[in-house]
Amino acid sequence: MRALPLLCTILFAGMCIAQPVLFPTPLSPRIANYNIDVRLDVQTRTLKGRETLLWFNKSADTIRELQFHLYLNAFRNTKSTFMKESGVSVRGTKIDEDGWGFINVGNITTASGENVTQQLQYIHPDDDNENDKTVGRLPLSQGLAPGDSILLNIDFLDRMPQPPFARTGAKEEYYFIGQWFPKVGVYIDGKWNCHQFHATTEFFADFGVYNVHMTVPEKNILGATGIQVEVRNNGDGTATHFYHAEDVHDFAWTTSPEFVEFTGEAEGVKIRALMQPDHIDQGARHIEAAKTAITYFHKWYGTYPFPNLTVVDPRRGAAGSGGMEYPTLITAGTSYGMPEGLRFVELVVIHEFGHNYWYHLLASNEFEETWMDEGINTYTEYQIMNDRYGPTGDGIDLFGLKINDQQLFRSQYLLLPDVDPAVRNAWQYYSGGSYGTNSYVKPGLLLSTLHNYLGKETMLKIMRTYVERWSFKHPKSKDFIAVANEVSGQNLDWFFDQALYTNAVLDYAVDQVSTRPVPKNRGFDITRSVDSLAAGSNEGKESEGISSSDSTTMYLSEVKIRRLGAFKFPVELEVRFENGETTREKWDGLELWKKFTYTRSSRLVYATVDPDHKVALDVNFTNNSKTIATHELGIDKVAVRFLFWVQSMLDLPEWLNITALFDGLF
Amino acid sequence: MLSSLLKGIKLSLHNRRLIFVYYLANLVFALIVMVPFRSTLMSFAGNTLMGEKLAGRMDMDFAVEFIVRNSTTLGSLTFLLLVAAWLYWIFNLYLSGGAYVVLASGETYDPVRFWGNAGNYFGRFIRLFLWSIPLLVVFYCIQFVVPLVVRLVWGSDPYQSILWWSRWVRVGLAYWGILMYLIVFDYARIFAIMTDEPGMGKALRRGFRFSFKHVVTTFGISLTLFATGFLMLLVYNPLADALHAPNVFAIVALLIVQQTYIFLRMALRLTLYASQAHLYQKHHPKRTEEKLDSIQSVVIQPASE
Repeated sequence: MRALPLLCTILFAGMCIAQPVLFPTPLSPRIANYNIDVRLDVQTRTLKGRETLLWFNKSADTIRELQFHLYLNAFRNTKSTFMKESGVSVRGTKIDEDGWGFINVGNITTASGENVTQQLQYIHPDDDNENDKTVGRLPLSQGLAPGDSILLNIDFLDRMPQPPFARTGAKEEYYFIGQWFPKVGVYIDGKWNCHQFHATTEFFADFGVYNVHMTVPEKNILGATGIQVEVRNNGDGTATHFYHAEDVHDFAWTTSPEFVEFTGEAEGVKIRALMQPDHIDQGARHIEAAKTAITYFHKWYGTYPFPNLTVVDPRRGAAGSGGMEYPTLITAGTSYGMPEGLRFVELVVIHEFGHNYWYHLLASNEFEETWMDEGINTYTEYQIMNDRYGPTGDGIDLFGLKINDQQLFRSQYLLLPDVDPAVRNAWQYYSGGSYGTNSYVKPGLLLSTLHNYLGKETMLKIMRTYVERWSFKHPKSKDFIAVANEVSGQNLDWFFDQALYTNAVLDYAVDQVSTRPVPKNRGFDITRSVDSLAAGSNEGKESEGISSSDSTTMYLSEVKIRRLGAFKFPVELEVRFENGETTREKWDGLELWKKFTYTRSSRLVYATVDPDHKVALDVNFTNNSKTIATHELGIDKVAVRFLFWVQSMLDLPEWLNITALFDGLF
Repeated sequence: MLSSLLKGIKLSLHNRRLIFVYYLANLVFALIVMVPFRSTLMSFAGNTLMGEKLAGRMDMDFAVEFIVRNSTTLGSLTFLLLVAAWLYWIFNLYLSGGAYVVLASGETYDPVRFWGNAGNYFGRFIRLFLWSIPLLVVFYCIQFVVPLVVRLVWGSDPYQSILWWSRWVRVGLAYWGILMYLIVFDYARIFAIMTDEPGMGKALRRGFRFSFKHVVTTFGISLTLFATGFLMLLVYNPLADALHAPNVFAIVALLIVQQTYIFLRMALRLTLYASQAHLYQKHHPKRTEEKLDSIQSVVIQPASE
């Protein structure tokens, strides 16, 4: 059996003539390696392919079966788990009447030629849906010992959904092809981790080397994961594109005769944008956004080791393939006439490129800990957008309306702050909204909070260390926390335990403020003897010994802070007095409330918790402060603007003032 | 067209009190909505640093929190706004009878004549509006021709650029449709006043006929004033935007700029009415003379003392 891995490797390598070498020293364990030969038939929207899988058992167990993802079967009919959960609609996209897709597995043969097709069984490890065929199990006739490998040849036929649905499919001549081949699951922690395709799940896979030959109409332009090795014209109206990728865990590609190509380069990474004809004027914008993303990630989070990046602009009517990440290939999404001030192009490109770190290099399990990709990525997106386009209006800066990326998404968190903890299986959140909140927004905010709590330099060091240490190793939440603890030199478990594993809401508020003159000392002097009190010599007079020596009026100011949520977090309190004196206090935030008392020669003006606006997770910034005086000026300013807005609105029949309605509010 | 416009401008300049009546109506109805809004805002943020910060530019975190945490109140306010908008529209319909009579007579604002004729024609104008609803629907639906044309010419899968430009054409047609409806409605009202016609179906037909018989002039007058309003907006926007300083002077200045803008919009509307009345009179001088005489007798006289 020991000779088997070598034999398999020789057989596998022999299938790829002139295969280039990107990384002489592998970056990853290269457990799942694929050679795929596939032909696209645009008449039937099908892909006919043969895959050769070389899988290494790098666990300590003897493997007795393989498990495969057959993702395209999620779109087979309305009975799949995906369709049941999604209501046959994802991000507003519905499948056409004849747009259903599938993957049919044909012959499966081993390296020795044994046909094992009949042994393939469909399983449904996450639910009891017998109609779901997104996971297949292939028992092995002989156990695969640790260190051994297996080579399988698998024929398959795909039909692509139309329009692109859940990031894969076709629209007329445009194809975006993802999750399209029989893909082996991950054997980890002594068992197979191969979940069904759910409406809210993304992916988890092992790294490997991919050699993929794609035959498409010769007029088509093609983009794919990895680097292009060769394009061969077949002389029959088709061309075969050969792409090679190393140390990636997925392979996606796109093709269309209409793509218009733009190129650029940043930090030695070659950028290619495949734009739709009606978005040509935004080609340079996509390239610039990609340059920004690469430059910032390179500077802040570590080196992007791959030589290229392809940005795909989805076709009109194919928004279902937009905003998605694959190794070295991402999809964006824009529309004709997108103003520069709406920075959605930049936001999406920066976000999707970020996945090439958190989804690609780190490759955590997105089925079970989706925050480790989407959440961390949302945090890095907030940081880059703000640094590059901020400090205000980094997301939208149009007609005087300025909204930051983080502000845009925070509103989503405010609507559903406590329905689920951040960490749970992606298909088990309360709703799609809760999945979005807890996978993207809340983790983004909690990491921003940590960023402000620890300081930018420490946070960058944590992130860099995390990337360096855990690239290509499928880290889990505990691994990220361990790095944060180690690098910061603090035990941050208290923070992560609350932020990730509970639904606790963070809300500190200044509940009451008061300031009043200290009353002059009156009544009985407790230092006098009872006899002298009885004599009534001092009754009604100012006590001796405890009166102020000067005539300055003293004020007693009280501030009561409350913790309104279950989330405990240390906060600062800032108190300002009329004479300009400002005092800062620290509170560990553990109790339900705390009272602070000050005796000063000046009245209290205001008290505010989190004066530096560090706690991004706080669900109510407005109640963070309380002032003694009412701020009618600010209220009147908004009221004046609102009055104008209503006046314009009332006069709408003349339709003169749409812009005024918009501008009037902001 | 030019003479009617000039006459309209002259008449509205001579009727500043009339403009003020219109402005005041707009302000009062807006205040009905604004006062509870201000109260909600005050209780939410009046005693916070955020309240102080609001004197500058709008804080988006605050805006989101305010909406999320006052959704019930804001829902009620939206309903109030819709009710106010309807009542305001009806009140404007009421005022228009008086306004047209005053402006058609070429004289200055006289409260007795104005309010008397406002009441006199209100019932008829309500009926006219009800008659005109099908016309409004037809004019509004003209815009839906655009997607049909796009589908016919470019099929079911046009480029986004085609869709983008066709949307602008559609918006333009929607504006045109509403503008044409308002023009017909205006001339129907003028016809009703000038002929004392009780049948509002007939008034609508006559208004329609007049509007399209002289379409270049009728549409030209409306378009000119529409464009003037748009130019005013272009001046207003940067001016209002510049007044964002968080001090009382900037806020008072902003209020003045805003109210001046609204006042000028009201002036534009009355200029439109006056120009339209003048145009109608120019084409029907005999009918106008007879009617203007009769209007004097219709006027509700003050009680003799």
